[in-house]
Amino acid sequence: MIAPLLAIRNLTVQFRVDTGWVTAIDDVSLDVDEGDCVGIVGESGSGKSVTALSILRLHQRATTRMPGGTILYQGEDLLRARASTMRRIRGSEIAMIFQDPMSSLNPVLTIADQISETLRQHQGLTGAAARKRVVELLGLVRIPDAARRADDYPHRLSGGMRQRVMIAMAIACKPRLLIADEPTTALDVTIQAQILELLRDLRKELSMSVMLISHDLGVIAEFAQRVIVMYAGRVVEDAPVAQLFRRPVHPYTMGLIAAVPKLDSDALRLATIPGRIPSPQETIPGCRFSPRCALVQHGCLEEQPPMQMAGDRQSARCPPRLLALGDRHG
Amino acid sequence: MTDVGLGSLPTASAIVAPRGHGTLRRLLRHRSFMIGFSVILLLTLAAVLAPLISPVDPSAMRVRLRFRPPSSQFLFGTDMFGRDVFTRVLYGARVSLFVGVAVCVISGLCSAIIGVIAAQFRSLDGAIMRLMDALMSFPAILLALGIAAALGPRVSSVIIALTVAYIPAGVRIVRAAALTVREMDFVHAAQVSGASSLRIVLRHILPNCFSPLLVHLTFIFAYAMLAEAALSFLGVGIQPPIASWGNIIAEGRDYATEAWWVMLFPGIAISLAALSLNLLGDALGDMLDPRLKGGD
Amino acid sequence: MVDRPQPIVEVRDLCKTFAVKHAGGVSTLHALSGVNFDIMRGETLGLVGESGSGKTTAGRILVGLIPATSGQVALFGHSITGADGRARLAAVRSRLQFVFQDPFASLNPRMRIGNAIAEPIDIAGTLSRKDRNDRVAELLELVGLPRNSIERYPHEFSGGQRQRIVIARALALNPDFVVCDEPVSALDVSMQAQIVNLLLDLQDRLGLSYLFIAHDLAVVRAVSTRVAVMYAGAIVETAPKAQIYSDPQHPYSRALLDAVPRADPDFVRHPVVAGEVPSLLDPPPGCCFHPRCPFAMERCRVEVPLLKESGAERRVACHLFSA
Repeated sequence: MIAPLLAIRNLTVQFRVDTGWVTAIDDVSLDVDEGDCVGIVGESGSGKSVTALSILRLHQRATTRMPGGTILYQGEDLLRARASTMRRIRGSEIAMIFQDPMSSLNPVLTIADQISETLRQHQGLTGAAARKRVVELLGLVRIPDAARRADDYPHRLSGGMRQRVMIAMAIACKPRLLIADEPTTALDVTIQAQILELLRDLRKELSMSVMLISHDLGVIAEFAQRVIVMYAGRVVEDAPVAQLFRRPVHPYTMGLIAAVPKLDSDALRLATIPGRIPSPQETIPGCRFSPRCALVQHGCLEEQPPMQMAGDRQSARCPPRLLALGDRHG
Repeated sequence: MTDVGLGSLPTASAIVAPRGHGTLRRLLRHRSFMIGFSVILLLTLAAVLAPLISPVDPSAMRVRLRFRPPSSQFLFGTDMFGRDVFTRVLYGARVSLFVGVAVCVISGLCSAIIGVIAAQFRSLDGAIMRLMDALMSFPAILLALGIAAALGPRVSSVIIALTVAYIPAGVRIVRAAALTVREMDFVHAAQVSGASSLRIVLRHILPNCFSPLLVHLTFIFAYAMLAEAALSFLGVGIQPPIASWGNIIAEGRDYATEAWWVMLFPGIAISLAALSLNLLGDALGDMLDPRLKGGD
Repeated sequence: MVDRPQPIVEVRDLCKTFAVKHAGGVSTLHALSGVNFDIMRGETLGLVGESGSGKTTAGRILVGLIPATSGQVALFGHSITGADGRARLAAVRSRLQFVFQDPFASLNPRMRIGNAIAEPIDIAGTLSRKDRNDRVAELLELVGLPRNSIERYPHEFSGGQRQRIVIARALALNPDFVVCDEPVSALDVSMQAQIVNLLLDLQDRLGLSYLFIAHDLAVVRAVSTRVAVMYAGAIVETAPKAQIYSDPQHPYSRALLDAVPRADPDFVRHPVVAGEVPSLLDPPPGCCFHPRCPFAMERCRVEVPLLKESGAERRVACHLFSA
């Protein structure tokens, strides 16, 4: 068995608030294999962004603590690595793009300056060599008239263009893993489609692994090969994309898929999940989805259910459902 | 002497920060706030209860007791006229705190009204802000000096002078807040329902301008007390025998080497008051702008 | 001769321009260029488009938040544009309302929600104190919120609950027509479904008509009876819901539908349309979609296509259909 490129094991992250420490994610485990495309889907409070930020240790140290877990990248635990190691890894081996390109770009530097910064830091490129590479990268992300656009300031670019610049900065050093946190949420539908197509093509061209985080099941279905569903700080299901949609195991996954309005069919009313997402401060005994679950049983309220296998490469955190499915398959 | 600068213009999150029971609890736990608030409370109590704490006439001159250093009988010593400095400082607190509160309240009210008018009526906005700019181009203390000198050396002149000097900064803050609040959807919702401009200003805009203005006013309180002391020190403010921290220092100036205690104790009192108000203002600012807090 | 029922909303040749100040001087931003549509009683018109389409501007003009630059808007038969427009809008104001997108910005954080919901009533000043309080309780029940919410402040509620409060406020005076501007875009998927269902239930119970503005085509499908697609300030197609999703005529409508990601891994993707929405400061001549249109002809670069009949209850603004 080849070791995964990135292995998160039992990660727990807590933040400090006025009233003490609150758990943002609890016992999160997931793998990203070489060349894989993993999608993390969840609603607000699911912890998907917290998980992503933890990989590159981008949380504020003063108010964050990680009482448990490891993040193994090529055998090294990123949570315990030295600051110099992290600096080396960020940008050149693991890169990240965010939702709002405007706040990720420095408004007083030109595009060329910003991309050159990464090139200088990690590859030692300067001057004409850097400029050449910058124009090359802008072409790679399909920005028309790249040579001229390189000297523009961020405010002259549209949202879609800025996101392409972000992607150019992220792939500048050919990272092995690209983490994309809601990269298309703030973009128009047609631009979103263009950016997703770009990411798909870049993934193949650069043999990159991608971790895509989104609340949009459609984006995940189109892009990811494997899907991890998170709810209220925990991973509740982990499955290859086709299996997830064909045979969702966890009741939350089922509810989420049902609640998405369908583009191709009519319904009198939309299917809903009753109740609401718990706030991170709320302590719910046992399974955190139990207050909203139609299939809740007594055991669900007693202790946190473990992740269990539900067939080939699919696992879910719902023993009652797994039991029921197991019975059906004899 | 410090001029009231722009300070921090309010952000949208500062304006629409939530309030409720949680805020009180958070205030009580905030160290700067508790320290600042306690000291000011102490000073206020000392001022109010002055006759009880020190039942001596602050103006009573006993020439034979001149220049006594601090002792158990005269906590802060006596001055050049044999007056008890401790009692004078206590009574001086009354004047200084009164001036501070008066300037705060009056300039706050005026700033709120003028600021909201400037934000609502764009036609008047230009004229109002140019007038404010003109006032702000004078160093506040110079402006106050001029007005106080013209009106004569008494408490009311000092209050009027300082109020005029500090209104422009408040107007800027309220105007900035009002302009932000005007664009928020809850104001549009009221417009859709047919609300009159007056209703929108009174029920929606003004209440949401309070937070930044309140923080600003705590600093105005401190500045006013310091400025009053300066004006009295320069001779255009409150005149003896009425005690004010500033004029006590002024009187003690000529005897700095022989009777250093006459300048020291009112000086400490002013510093303490200004410092605690700054702490209070900082704490309020932190509480009301969630982004400045650590973490989140 | 059967009398055709009068539309409750009639929009003709609506144009809106904004003056934009910048370093070089003042430019004109063409937010709306000649928009035409009707809304009949009891129906929901879904107004769909991406950024720059002008859909939000159109919605706000309908309720008088923004004045029109030119064109006619008639509500319940009364023209609210032109001279006396404001007075006539005031006369029909109680019959229309607006639901905003951001549940966190559409409620005054310093106002208890009981007062927030009652605000339209208080402004109109028609009910006694007791009747007003009864009405607030009734509205809370209508949107599924507990009665004790009256004393609480907005920050004590979640996004979905706040949107319910906003809807309750919109219904305070029993309006006939509600403009909903992206009412569920800021909510989580599971909450979106609840609010969409609430809007549909309320429409059935109270006989409401909606203008439902959104960029999410799937949500629009769930809610609308008819759909109008907007691009760069103009309506490019209107059709009954079923038709626009199964057989979109305008190339942009087709591109838009193709671009929406489907929650179905087996779905075969169509090629993505290239390019971006044109600058509204300097719109392209002729059809504003022609720079991106795979079917663009010479005529499209020169002549602006008008919205014309192209089938039963269908209209499209495209030269492909006017030969």
